[in-house]
Amino acid sequence: MEFTYRRTHRASPGLLFDCLTQPEHLARFWGPDGTTTSSIVVDLRAGGAFETTMVSPGGQYTMRAVYLEVDRPARLAWSEPDTGMVTTITFTDLGDGLTEVVTHQASVPDAFGSPEARSGFETSLRRFDEYVAQMT
Amino acid sequence: MTAIADELSTTFAALADPTRRAILARLAAGEATVGQLAEPFALTQQAISKHIKVLERAGLVARSRAAQARPCRIEPAGLDEVAEWVTGQRQTWHERYDRLDRYLGTL
Repeated sequence: MEFTYRRTHRASPGLLFDCLTQPEHLARFWGPDGTTTSSIVVDLRAGGAFETTMVSPGGQYTMRAVYLEVDRPARLAWSEPDTGMVTTITFTDLGDGLTEVVTHQASVPDAFGSPEARSGFETSLRRFDEYVAQMT
Repeated sequence: MTAIADELSTTFAALADPTRRAILARLAAGEATVGQLAEPFALTQQAISKHIKVLERAGLVARSRAAQARPCRIEPAGLDEVAEWVTGQRQTWHERYDRLDRYLGTL
């Protein structure tokens, strides 16, 4: 089960990658509409944490994720242990200053398809657990 | 994990298997007994029954109690939940990238 979303932006792959991975950029557009992003944690390496806390009039919500792949400017992936979702974003230079950004989300059962994916995911989850343990 | 996220992951896990997706595709054409469902697959009725149980737990398939053969039918509400999730994700990312475009314009 999966979801794919394609967009073309007028910017280089590198700038788009930076916008999606640097807190000062993310704070300006991550959203959703009607919320403010009160806290963004980015530890930009495979196994590193990616957390965004969004505040709306109705309360606040923290997305907790762990990076699976960090390959600037081509590819970025993270998983959300709370929901079992894996998000992969690829950046393709189309020339003429345009970049295609493909966002793909899949549930863990699909991501577990290959043994390599499974072992990568489990390693990341273990690192994430260690990261959380050291914080508490 | 919220109850909804938990239900959704049960549904996704059920849909992750190609045999179960094929069973759903067959049931989309109309209800069928386990025996009828087993015919196109190189699987025993027992193996098909296991897949049906997973689909039932995920709320994707229901079985009639009236007839002795207990035909299976698709449960559209289960798939609606998946469709709603996909629509919600599409909306979230669409708006996010709209905001990113506006932000890029200010750089």
